[in-house]
Amino acid sequence: MTSLTVTINGRVHGPHDARDDLTMNDFLREYLGMTGAKFGCGAAQCLSCAIIIDNPDGTSYTSPTCIVPATSFDGKSIRTVEGHAKDGELTPLQKAFIDHFAFQCGYCTAGFLNEGQVLLERLATTPIARADLEKTIAEALDGHLCRCTGYVKYHEAVRDVILADPSRYLQSS
Amino acid sequence: MKIDVRILLFLIAATVPAAALTAEAVSNTTSGSLASVESFASIGDQQTRSAAYFTELGKVLTHPRCLNCHPAGDRPRQGDTARLHQPPVFRGVDGFGLPALRCPICHQAANFGAVPGNPIWHLAPREMAWEGKTLGQICTQIKDPAQNGGRSLETLVEHIGEDHLVGWAWAPGPGREPAPGTQKQAGALVAAWVQTGAACPKP
Amino acid sequence: MDDRLRVISRRELLRAGAAGGIALTLTRLAAAEAPAFTARETLPGRQGMNPAATAAGRIDGVAKVTGAKLYASDFRAADMPGWPSQTSHALLLRVADATHVYAGLDLSRLSGALKPAATLTADDLARIGTRVPEFYAGDLFCPVGKTPLYLGQPIALLIFEDFDAFDQARLALREQAFAKFGEETGPVEAPNYAAFRFTRLGGPTPEAADIYSPVKNGWVSPGKFQRTKPNTETPIWSRLPITTGAAYAEAADIGAKIRAELASDDPSLLVLERQFDTQSVDPMFLEPESGLAWYDSSGKTLALVVGVQSPYEAAESVAFLLGEADTKFRPAHIDMNFAYCGGGFGGRDHTPFPLYLALAAMVFPDRPVRLANNRFDQFQSGIKRHAFNIRTRIGVDRATGKIVGFAADHALDGGGLANFSASVATVAANAALGAYYAPKSDVTTFSFHSRGVTAGSMRCYGTVQTMTALEVMVDEICAALPLDPIEFRRRNALQAGWRTMAGNPYIASVRTPEILDKLEQHPIWRDRAQEKARAPSGILFGAGVACAAKDYGTGADCSLGSVQIDADGKVAIHCDAVEIGNGVGTAVANRVATCLGGVADQVAVAQVGVFGPLGLVTSFDPYTISQEKQDAEARNPRWVPAISSATSASIGAHIGTHAAAEAARVIFRFGLWPAALELWGLAPTDFKALDWEKARWKDGHLVLSGLAPLPLAAVAEKAHAQNGVVAAMAHGFNRWSWSHATFGIAGEPWTADIDALAVRRAGGEFVCLDRSYVKFPPTEFNRIGTSYSSLCGTAVHVEIERTTGALRIAKAYSVLECGQALAPEIVRGQAQGGFAMGVGYALLESLPLYEDGPGNGKWNLGQYLVARGSDLPLHDLEIEILPPLDANERPKGIAEVVMIPVVPALLNAIFDATGRRFRSLPVTQAMLKEAALGAPQ
Repeated sequence: MTSLTVTINGRVHGPHDARDDLTMNDFLREYLGMTGAKFGCGAAQCLSCAIIIDNPDGTSYTSPTCIVPATSFDGKSIRTVEGHAKDGELTPLQKAFIDHFAFQCGYCTAGFLNEGQVLLERLATTPIARADLEKTIAEALDGHLCRCTGYVKYHEAVRDVILADPSRYLQSS
Repeated sequence: MKIDVRILLFLIAATVPAAALTAEAVSNTTSGSLASVESFASIGDQQTRSAAYFTELGKVLTHPRCLNCHPAGDRPRQGDTARLHQPPVFRGVDGFGLPALRCPICHQAANFGAVPGNPIWHLAPREMAWEGKTLGQICTQIKDPAQNGGRSLETLVEHIGEDHLVGWAWAPGPGREPAPGTQKQAGALVAAWVQTGAACPKP
Repeated sequence: MDDRLRVISRRELLRAGAAGGIALTLTRLAAAEAPAFTARETLPGRQGMNPAATAAGRIDGVAKVTGAKLYASDFRAADMPGWPSQTSHALLLRVADATHVYAGLDLSRLSGALKPAATLTADDLARIGTRVPEFYAGDLFCPVGKTPLYLGQPIALLIFEDFDAFDQARLALREQAFAKFGEETGPVEAPNYAAFRFTRLGGPTPEAADIYSPVKNGWVSPGKFQRTKPNTETPIWSRLPITTGAAYAEAADIGAKIRAELASDDPSLLVLERQFDTQSVDPMFLEPESGLAWYDSSGKTLALVVGVQSPYEAAESVAFLLGEADTKFRPAHIDMNFAYCGGGFGGRDHTPFPLYLALAAMVFPDRPVRLANNRFDQFQSGIKRHAFNIRTRIGVDRATGKIVGFAADHALDGGGLANFSASVATVAANAALGAYYAPKSDVTTFSFHSRGVTAGSMRCYGTVQTMTALEVMVDEICAALPLDPIEFRRRNALQAGWRTMAGNPYIASVRTPEILDKLEQHPIWRDRAQEKARAPSGILFGAGVACAAKDYGTGADCSLGSVQIDADGKVAIHCDAVEIGNGVGTAVANRVATCLGGVADQVAVAQVGVFGPLGLVTSFDPYTISQEKQDAEARNPRWVPAISSATSASIGAHIGTHAAAEAARVIFRFGLWPAALELWGLAPTDFKALDWEKARWKDGHLVLSGLAPLPLAAVAEKAHAQNGVVAAMAHGFNRWSWSHATFGIAGEPWTADIDALAVRRAGGEFVCLDRSYVKFPPTEFNRIGTSYSSLCGTAVHVEIERTTGALRIAKAYSVLECGQALAPEIVRGQAQGGFAMGVGYALLESLPLYEDGPGNGKWNLGQYLVARGSDLPLHDLEIEILPPLDANERPKGIAEVVMIPVVPALLNAIFDATGRRFRSLPVTQAMLKEAALGAPQ
């Protein structure tokens, strides 16, 4: 057992005693009842379980939760799909996913949303050239599996959010 | 182009037909073990013996536990069948992956369940690729500081014999076959190989 | 067509359930605490943002981007108002050996806190007195002393009181052999699942009466089998000199003659005979099967939360399972809660999973139990796509380029349990000629038991296998004749009124020529020679084309829909169709909106329990009932051939939205229209009162030429004030044609494509209306096979790296027709998803059938590759949806057909690039590398 305190969507959870072999996915879903992060493969292949980890330096990255110990999140701050919208106001990316009919069954949506959001935040601090945009999106999303959609609309949604605010995400040409 | 003649000569001299050195020493070992340094004593010729040490060590170097992260391209392999890593990950600028899927996110400080781990899990640099190469080619490459991370032969002994990440190959967790023998045995073979002139098997 | 010829009578299940004294409740009453399960599953909800209202998204859009609890796997006991709060967890143990005698469990690793709180094995089932629904015939658990029937057969269900114990126990058992085995027996021999022969000898013209056909002469099966190798019996297809089986002998004689003609040395004919083999694959829906169940022993109520494509069937099956069990294990009520599905693709249609979930709750009473597959479990136990061996012989007249004869033999590995093997075989066989016509055809099909994981329904239902074999052969025929591939298809396209392979006239609009024109004119196909010439060295370029026609429906499809409009004009819909990603909630809302002027803000899908007011009853099996019995039963105004059916076979748009649309029409005609007349100041006797069909909704206003547009809310308010019809529920039944009935409403006859109707006036209760006339589709339609279909064509460019065999799909184009697209962006998404699944099937996905395959419990993604974004032409995939023929063309199902042509188009492109015709799937990079090395420079 290890003590675990983690900040999720701005709220501190814990300290909890967590078994060392408990996965973060089970911690979220079975102990906290937070089922927005899905369970798809249990092997970090589909990334439907991915959440966002916020570093103290302001940078963020996504991580699968199904293959990593819950205890490795002690002291960390994370965001899940449940935490994107604020006071019912959807983020631009959430809106774009809806507008583009990006998902079908929706089971992979949380993973794509978190990955896309981290990409947006990364580009906001480190803009890229327009010519690299499609490749950058493709690299970011390629770890995520979707069985329904063929991915096209997810990629279009992310791209459109970026192109709607080029001065923020892209290097000036 | 300037060629370092001494190295060239050394390499030529050090090349011994591979068939000659499989030797009795090796014949008794199973796939999961390594022959001890002592068992090569019957090979009288030092160069032949040296190359034989390396051939034995080759069981480790070409084992999926090592080869999977010394790939020819930018994408590691995984599992005992050495299939391409899924999800698709790439070496990135530092060998720790592209910005979106960094190695240490999944591969944490230690094995967890079926997922292997080590504090510095990453890909070997491109110039240290072993995939698709013969043992002779790997040998030549491993001695070349330009292709071995600037290591001297002595530090190679340490790298293979004591490095923590290399050591993972012998404790890979459930569902993976460990590299043959032990890290200590592998280290001893490297040491013996270096001491006997670091001769290479025929490419 | 999906003549899902169910070998058993599903009716028996209900009768038995009733005999067992179990009352089925199919939704739960909302409890006081918020939010109730049904509230969570009703989207977007009255206060929620509704993207569908402006066609700017799906009904379920907001719920899905905010991580709302929606899927069966999201629910724990604490999420269910009125349930005990703690969740226990069940672990289903399955075998990885089907050739040795099962000798018992070894749970020595589970000691102390890890000891299961309850255990269930085959012995316990015998004691409890459960019954296996015939559809799932076979031991639910392998008994000690028997060789498992199939790899992955369950042996025990272990229940742990809390998650910690469960989690540690599954870890402890992960690397340990928990099943003991004795002597080697080899695989269990079991009867085959189906053997049919579809033989047709057409008349002098394609429209003329057949000389012999399955529709005209009946379906036939061979009567004799022979042992070809140990544990394998195959049908004897040739005619036997025996006196019985005259019906089969006639087909066999005609079939033999057709084949002999195709074997003769007639120089005017080109005859090709080819073998094609397809692999087993997994639907790989992203949410593994899971559920939650609670048996409340004081109320004798069993409650379940599951996500399946066949909710009504799941409820019936659970009721049958427990219907005659020992009193202690027999609930008086079963309360089924159906959740959104994280994908389906057929794999959640008739799955045995709910049976195990119900058992878990019954053996651990008063504690909610969760049973959830992980991905290894899902690979080990989930329904698979059938692997096929296909041998096809096609004869073409060299002078005309027309097919003169077609013969094929199919063998399907059905795996451990029968499931839908018989009907997949039938559907696949009847699709073997694709979009084409042949005057003579003879197709045999045989599906057999094996120790593999059970195969059943999966997107395309056997047809992607047979049409891939066909379309690859068509490409080869075109090269051999030679004849342009589009022109060949044009000359052989089946036309409306012509007879299909089964011998029935094709009743649909046939848009094959338009699809072919589109393919021919598209730059991918038109400019292929120039593109090839431009290919850089080291790259093998290839272009390929294919098309497919796929029916939609199963031949016994039901639609249940209930619609209401409140005084503010807000619309709420309940329907029995299941949301598996197909967007049926959005489609039904859009279809209803064309009648009622507003997009519903409360759509509840997978509802089978709210239709009580219709008082429906049924009897017999809709697939096997005689005309005489159907006519007799139809006299009961509450009788229908079937009550509810699975969401499968591309029926979301066509079937799933139908009853709600019909209910909405009733509300409009008898609620909103009279209200509008009054608002316009028109008397009911005014001649304009007859123009209700001419009125249209535009921007939330009812518009009729010459009159002031009326806002929906005003019309709705008036309808309520007038005590008009403000809610209606309807049932429809489709057997390749809709049931049709007349009802009396407000003193007027109302005739529609429904067979049951209840209406509610403002402030009142639902009143069920007796039909004064009904016509159900004739029972002979049960053997008509495909009579309508939707079409899709695909053209692709591939680039294969010569040295590595790496294939890149450079460009792709799919063109489809679907009648009226209820939600065009969802149709487009289905086509993109079908493309991705086609790429996976053609190039990536493969499961070994037996010990090395998923039944061994070691398979997961990583080893099993499905298409990722990087495998697809994300920026060069063009989808074109043909506009409907006219404004009234009904929606057609397309979710299956969009996958089919992708596979042969890729294979044809690979041939164009490498000169190699691959005749087995998948075509891997290693195979391409070898082919590329041998390709001419």
